[in-house]
Amino acid sequence: MSLKDLISPFYVWQRAFEKPYTQKRPIEDRPGAPRYRGFHMNSEECIGCGTCESICQNHAIDMVPVEGLEQRAGDSGLRPRFDYGRCCWCALCVDICTTRSLHLSNHYAWVTEDPDAFHFTAGTDAMPWNQNSLGYRRDDDYHLLVHDRVEMQALSAEESVAGFDEVMRGYTEEEAVLEADRCVECGICVATCPAHMAIPDYIRTVRKGDYEAGLRLLYETNPFSSTCGRICTHRCETVCVMGYQGDPIAIRWLKRAIVDRVPQEKYREILGDEVEENGKTVGVIGAGPGGMSAAYYLRRQGYAVTVYEAQARAGGMLRYGVPSYRLPDNQLDKDLEYIRSLGVEMRFNTQVGRDIPFTQLLDEHDALFLAVGLNQPSALRIAGEEHPRVLSGLRVLDDVASGKDPGVGKRVAVIGGGNVAMDAARVSRRLGAEVDVLYRRRIEDMPADPEEIRESQAEGCTLVPQAIPVEIRNASDSNQVTIVWGEAEMVADDKGGRPRPVLQEDRMHEETYDCIIAAIGQGGQIDFIPAEFRDRIEFKWNKFVPGDYQQTGLEKLFVGGDIANSRADAISAIEDGHHAARGIHRFLSGALDG
Amino acid sequence: MANAIQLLADFGRNFTLSDIREQRVDLAFCKAPKEQAVRLIRELRDDAGYTHLVFLTNTDYIEQGIFTLTYMLHNYDARHTLGVHVDLDRNAAEMESIHNLWAQAATYQRELREMYGIRFPGSPRLDEDFCLEGWDQIPPMLKEFDTAAFSLERFHSREGRGSVDPSEHMKTLLYPTHSDEPSSGGS
Repeated sequence: MSLKDLISPFYVWQRAFEKPYTQKRPIEDRPGAPRYRGFHMNSEECIGCGTCESICQNHAIDMVPVEGLEQRAGDSGLRPRFDYGRCCWCALCVDICTTRSLHLSNHYAWVTEDPDAFHFTAGTDAMPWNQNSLGYRRDDDYHLLVHDRVEMQALSAEESVAGFDEVMRGYTEEEAVLEADRCVECGICVATCPAHMAIPDYIRTVRKGDYEAGLRLLYETNPFSSTCGRICTHRCETVCVMGYQGDPIAIRWLKRAIVDRVPQEKYREILGDEVEENGKTVGVIGAGPGGMSAAYYLRRQGYAVTVYEAQARAGGMLRYGVPSYRLPDNQLDKDLEYIRSLGVEMRFNTQVGRDIPFTQLLDEHDALFLAVGLNQPSALRIAGEEHPRVLSGLRVLDDVASGKDPGVGKRVAVIGGGNVAMDAARVSRRLGAEVDVLYRRRIEDMPADPEEIRESQAEGCTLVPQAIPVEIRNASDSNQVTIVWGEAEMVADDKGGRPRPVLQEDRMHEETYDCIIAAIGQGGQIDFIPAEFRDRIEFKWNKFVPGDYQQTGLEKLFVGGDIANSRADAISAIEDGHHAARGIHRFLSGALDG
Repeated sequence: MANAIQLLADFGRNFTLSDIREQRVDLAFCKAPKEQAVRLIRELRDDAGYTHLVFLTNTDYIEQGIFTLTYMLHNYDARHTLGVHVDLDRNAAEMESIHNLWAQAATYQRELREMYGIRFPGSPRLDEDFCLEGWDQIPPMLKEFDTAAFSLERFHSREGRGSVDPSEHMKTLLYPTHSDEPSSGGS
């Protein structure tokens, strides 16, 4: 062994005192393969549903608020933040992404001395690869989610138009589980539901077949679950994340799947509602969904509740405005009877202002909840509308619901495009009439539920869109009536509103019918509020404008339902009633003094 | 290979084949009973030109209580790939070894033992760790293995982590007063 061999190992020691030399980055960039799984990217389509977080097997994803990003209906305002200390680039998050906003870029080399930098919110934090167009994306034909809704059995159009049997037959247990299985349980829908029902939670009970737990969840926020399981306007479904790539979850039908499987006799035992009287009394004006919802939640808290109702039966517009082929009487009664079974006192045929003065109620009760609804048909405001063969849609529905023949005849024109118009048209079909529905805008502008529009067409109603009524005249036969209407052109609105229909006076039509059913909306009636209280209550266009907890400036008076909100649907009235019950409880226990 | 289905039909005279399916012109599948599978694979290798074992893998069908092995074989002359599926009882997962047919099969079998717990009696080094050194859990590819729970327990997270539930977040910001006080009877 030479001396050099002996000494040379020690040469390396001279390096021991030098600064370590680490190459900061690859000498040259090597782009990843086109479908390489690199760092995450997230596009503006993200709505913060958190499904990526739920599926991540490495707990690498947190949902976090992002500055400057507002939460709104259908968007939680949260965005996924990735911890690259845990991510294994399996891309399950990309494959499951409900809006397809999440991708992996093919950018894989990134060098920084700050380990916290590998913990960022994709899409909103500025990263070098945010504009990268390559990387891993889910293939079009690869799906982890089931996009098609389980269809519900329904009567055929021929069967349904032949009578008043319920058209939608309900899910079987197996169908309900399959539909419930599609839900990713993100809960984005809960904010949009006016009653903020625990939607993902009750859908989970359907999946497990635990209908008793399901019923308890429903009644936390909605004592009209059998009704809403059938006719709810299901605003929740409009924001359902499954709707981005397929059909939204049939949330309404799954609610029905629960209540249809629990007999009413078992409600009390399952819900465990016990009333401990607290010695205070609340008067409720109107036995519709708003009033009865308030009655239920107030009764649960021990208030003695008396409901004053102008009609002979409870249910309000649900009974007198919704035909039985959509909501059978026994299903509405199932909801109402349970509420009444808690000891709610009902005073039927008692119209406030006519049969009993408002002031008396104010004196007799510790608080009042008023939800009288909208029951004044709006006028057509055209010449001749006082003709005896011009009927109101509400009256026709009311007659049918009460077992009376509204006498619509054999040929009917319905004017309007809302649910009342559709129901009046479909009821007339069932009574044997040929029906034309005249609506001033386009079919897609109709405020009625899309399924009502579809079903009315299937049942043989003829929709005549862009038709503006101009005048109503006597027909040669005094049992008939003639309408003059003109075609409309849709004209873009300069102010950015929806297009306006403009009458084309050179394209007028004249038709004679056995009757014309006017169903262009309803207004409220507030004459029963004595003048002395009026200036303490805020009104706008014959409607109440409630404050916090549905309270008015007359602090014993709380209001809700169609006469106090702009949405005018059952579920909003139900929440108004529930919210007013919270407010009344706070008011009467001193926490809310107006 | 146009005659892949014909070939399987011919083999069907001596074997109980099912689920014969031609996925592409160069790819077909069939299912064989566990007792016949190795003899079938040997004959495919020796008599039908499927000389190459592309891979051996497994799928866990926990709902049906079975594992399905897939032996992927390739015929270079015909440029055709044939997959042979074999169902095993998930509760007694044992299969005859094919390391005598292809030496590298021992490696696949060692992996399947580690990832699914499937036994291949006689296969060399079967019980040695394959890639999970010091693994002390149930085999990780079994469907009942809770990957997320394992990951959370085994690996610590960076500081500053924290997640918000979307519906709770929206409730706090959009409708904070619309909930019942505990005294209201709600739960």
